[in-house]
Formats: sequence, structure tokens, C-alpha cells
Amino acid sequence: MLVGVNPFHGISHLSQERSRIRGNEPTNPEFAARLIGLSVENGADGFMFSVSEQTLSILDVLRKNGGNNGLCLYAIVPYAYEYVRLASVAGGVPGLAKRLVREIVFSGNLGAVASGLNGILRSDLASLVKTYLLYEVSRIRRSAGGKAKLESVLLHQLLTDLCLGLDLEWIFKFYTEFLLRTGIVPGFNTGNFALLVEKFREWKISLEDVVIVAPFNKVGFQMVPSREECEKALASLPKPNVLAISVLAAGYLRPEESVDYIAGLPNIKGVAVGVSKEKHAVETFKLLREKLQ
Amino acid sequence: MKVAVVGFGKMGMLHAGILNILPSVKLVAVCEKTGLIRRFLKKVVRDVCVVDCVEKLSGLDLDAVYVTTPIESHFPVVKSLYESGVRCNLFVEKTLASNFGEAGRLCEMVRKLGGVNMVGYMRRFCVTFMKAKDLLDEGVVGKPVSFRAYAYSSDFFGLKRNSKVQTPKVGVVRDLGCHALDLALWFFGNFRVEDARLESVVNDGSVDSAYFRVKASSGVVGEFNVSWCVDGYRMPEVGFFVEGSEGILNVNDDELAISLKDGKERKWLRHDLGDRVGFLLGSPEYYREDERFIEAVLGRKSVEPCFETATKVDRLIDEVLARAG
Repeated sequence: MLVGVNPFHGISHLSQERSRIRGNEPTNPEFAARLIGLSVENGADGFMFSVSEQTLSILDVLRKNGGNNGLCLYAIVPYAYEYVRLASVAGGVPGLAKRLVREIVFSGNLGAVASGLNGILRSDLASLVKTYLLYEVSRIRRSAGGKAKLESVLLHQLLTDLCLGLDLEWIFKFYTEFLLRTGIVPGFNTGNFALLVEKFREWKISLEDVVIVAPFNKVGFQMVPSREECEKALASLPKPNVLAISVLAAGYLRPEESVDYIAGLPNIKGVAVGVSKEKHAVETFKLLREKLQ
Repeated sequence: MKVAVVGFGKMGMLHAGILNILPSVKLVAVCEKTGLIRRFLKKVVRDVCVVDCVEKLSGLDLDAVYVTTPIESHFPVVKSLYESGVRCNLFVEKTLASNFGEAGRLCEMVRKLGGVNMVGYMRRFCVTFMKAKDLLDEGVVGKPVSFRAYAYSSDFFGLKRNSKVQTPKVGVVRDLGCHALDLALWFFGNFRVEDARLESVVNDGSVDSAYFRVKASSGVVGEFNVSWCVDGYRMPEVGFFVEGSEGILNVNDDELAISLKDGKERKWLRHDLGDRVGFLLGSPEYYREDERFIEAVLGRKSVEPCFETATKVDRLIDEVLARAG
């Protein structure tokens, strides 16, 4: 049972109005760390987050107050929203690339810099992906400290689905093989779960080696192409390796009415739920522990 | 059906990803000006021809071309596509052109050369606005009397004045406000600009916020507030508050609500409006938009918003800028 990150980034997939009403409190790293702590006390055992300055600050706080002890981390990269925003203010994709290169160089991660240089000189995207992953993993480990466990690094939904759309089999293979070699479980966050499962079978990527993060909820919200197709694909998996998100359909459902649906699904490894108030953290994870464990 | 994308920035990637999934569509070519992106693309995508200028797309026997370059280049790119014989069925990201004059010249080319054409005002394919359009057409809130529209984002919120950040050259009205203008034209028909004010927030001379009043030929009066410097709009958001003779309608990207004079109230979220698509990339509306365009090309039918319709937005933007002096 994982604490989801959306409220800490000021996101509500129900409506932006809802996140405006929530105010800025959940985006305060100290407050967010306290919510994670409360969630852990009530049954959560991990944190799923997009890697950003915001979430790294939360990990910093957790490390300093000991809240990282045994915490399982599921990191989503890249934080697509931030990069899309940066592309807007930095002069498009080339401007964004320049800025990222600068950040990696100044990070002092020599392995990443060497691989990146190679990637640029040879126009080799695989080297650049490797560079980027090394850079992100080092940032997470530095903030999270040794007591937290980086379970999985997941490719962000926008990237996963873009690569899926463009049929980029090699990216999925490269990403999976590279992370497995580093001892981290490769993960994919997708809004097209059924298609991803179908494609992995076609490409002979072992579904046993990866974690998939996808929406599952009883109203079929964001379950593409349909709730039925996603359930069918889920049932066909060789083992429980799916982390369900949007289980409350972005707050459309109450936890009590959504949890029974999730409990009845096969092959669910875990769920991630975002919380924005102390009361929610306690009640939600108590309920999830009671129904799902 | 063979499709090419011109301009492989974020919108080009998004459309390419969706198009390649659509049944009967194959992405066969990408045209991109930036050498670095072209070099990587050639290694990344299989069976896709990567070129540096639109003229090189001729000879590929394309069925449709997507133009997703920056707005300033829409006119020369589309013109080249027509003149070099690549022309056929064109989808152009919003806005059609940098000004009304250019947009009008593109419409003339369409009238001469034909083909299916569409402009990427994707909010027409967002379930909340689609439902709002149905309700307004059905007269659920009676005859529209007035409206207030906004288009906000936080893209440039909190920046110090004259920092190194460059806002898009076309300004906020064309970049973001165009969506609200297009929806207003769709909802209420033609109108003219009566009064406009622009504000520079980020840099001297940049157009970062705008306020303008309009009056439709039907008598409806409206106000627009547009800005990319507003807190709380992590994602760009467009919304309308419509006052009708029988009640009010409130709609934005996420939700729709009506409140009638007889006391009836109703609210819809995306969840309630069948917001389902065959493939999700970005938002569902992009899939619906691309699907509609491709269906039109396959069926050789016209589709909205076409160049002619989108030209009205370019005209209104010019009016706003002229009124503001």
C-alpha cells in the first residue's frame, strides 16, 4: 500500500478547482512528510512519486526525521509536467535538452556524464536514456538515504504511452534490461494497460520482470479502452505485478465503495492512494489495510 | 493511410503517437528543422522517413499532413505544402496563422486546391464542452444573454519581471486565449470586439494578460480574461460562465454545471460524460480530434473546425490587439 504523490504536487485529476480549494498545505514538504508518516503508521509501506525538486525535498525531510526507515520507493521518471513546462519557458525541446545537460554535468555524477557525452557524440539515444536514469537514481538515493529501499523506477505515463504509440519496442527492451542489471525493478506507468500487456507479449518482454502502474476503479475512469479489456488483460498476467492507481477515480468514489472492487481483482500487487489531510491518511490506509491485507 | 508530421516538438510527438495507433493510419514521415532532433529521430523510429524541409515530403504519396510547428511558421509551412504539391489533407495546430491576413490567404488556397482541412482546437472534443454545446443548442438555460470566459495557466506565474525567461512571441491571446475564442464562436456565433486591454507582466513588450469585451450578432455580450501568470492553474484551463434567460451554465475542462430558474441543478464531471477513448495520450480530446480528422479524410468529408472557421479566431485576435492599441 503506497502513498501516492498527486496532492503533494497540487494535482487533482477530478478537477483543478479541487486542488485550488485544497490550498498549498499538501505541497509543503514538511506537511507531506507528516502525511506519509501517518499513512505508514496506519498500514502504508511505500511512497510512489514523480521525481521532482518537490518530492526530493519530501524525501529529505523523511530521511532527516527517520521516516525513511524501510520505506519502499517507487519513483516515476521523468516528471513530465515539469519538463513540458520547462520546454515552454526554455525555448522548446532543444532548450529543454540544453538545460538538462547542464543539470547532469553539474550533478557531478561521472558515470552519467561519460555516458551522456558518448550519447551526444554518437547521437545515441540509448546512452542518453542511461545517462538520465543514472542521474535520477543518484538524485533519489541522495535524498532518500540508505534506509529507504528504491524498489522500482517507473517510466512516466506520458513517455510510456508515447513510446507505445510510436511502437518503440527497443526503448521498452533497453529500459527493462538496463534497470534489471542495476538491481532495480523496471516499471511502466501507463494509461493504456491492455495495449501495453498485449505489446509486451508481442515483443517478448517478460511480464514477470516488470511492475505496471495503471488505473483500476469500479467506474472505469481512465481505464482504456474499457474496464472490461483492462480486467481481461489483468487476469492474463503471470503474477501479481500491477500497482493500481486512480482506485478512487480521482476522488469521484469514496474509499469504502472503491476498495471492494480492488480487493476482488486478481494480480494486483498493490495500490497507491494520494492523501491531502491527516484525517484522510489515517482513515484511508486503515480501511485499505483492513480490506486488502 | 499515409501521414506525415511537420514539426516534432511536444504537439508533433503527441499527434504522431496517436496517429500511429489509429487503425488504417501509418506515420511514414517526419519533417523537423532542428538537426539534433532529426539525428536522434532517424535512429529511434523505424520505417519513418525523416526530412528537414517540407518540399522533401513530395513523392511520398501522402494522404494527410499534420503541421505542428510554432505558430509563426504555420503560414509559410502550409503554403509550401500546397505549392510543392505535397498538399492534400491538412491538419494544422492552433492557431491557423499568425494573423487574419495569412489565415485568409490559406483559406483562398484551400478554395482553389481542395482537400480536407482542420485546425487543432481540441477543446471542441473535450466532453464537458461538448455537453455544454449540446445544452446550449437545446436551450436548456434559455436564450444566452451574456457570458464570462477565461483562459488561465500558471506557466509564467511568479517570475520576476525581465527575467531571462522568454514567453511565446505570439502572446497569450493567440497562444492560450484562442481556445476560449474558438469555443465562444462555437457556442454563440460570430461577434466583434468592443474593448480590449493588454498587460505585460513577464517582460517589457510581452503580452501576458488580456481583458476584452465582445458583442455577438445574436445580441449576447461577453467578457474574456486571459493570462498565463495566474496561480493555481498548473494545467491550462478554459472556462465559461453563461447566463441564459432560464438559468446559468458553468463549464470548464473538468466539469459542467447548470442551475435553472425553476430550482433544478445538475453537475457533471468527466466521469459522468463517457470520457472514453481507444488510446490515451495527453488528454482524451486529442484522440477524438485526430480520429475525427482521419475519418473525414477517409470519407472525403469536411470537418470542423476547418480553416475557414478557424480564420474567425485569427480575425478576433487581430481585433483584440488593434483595439488595445
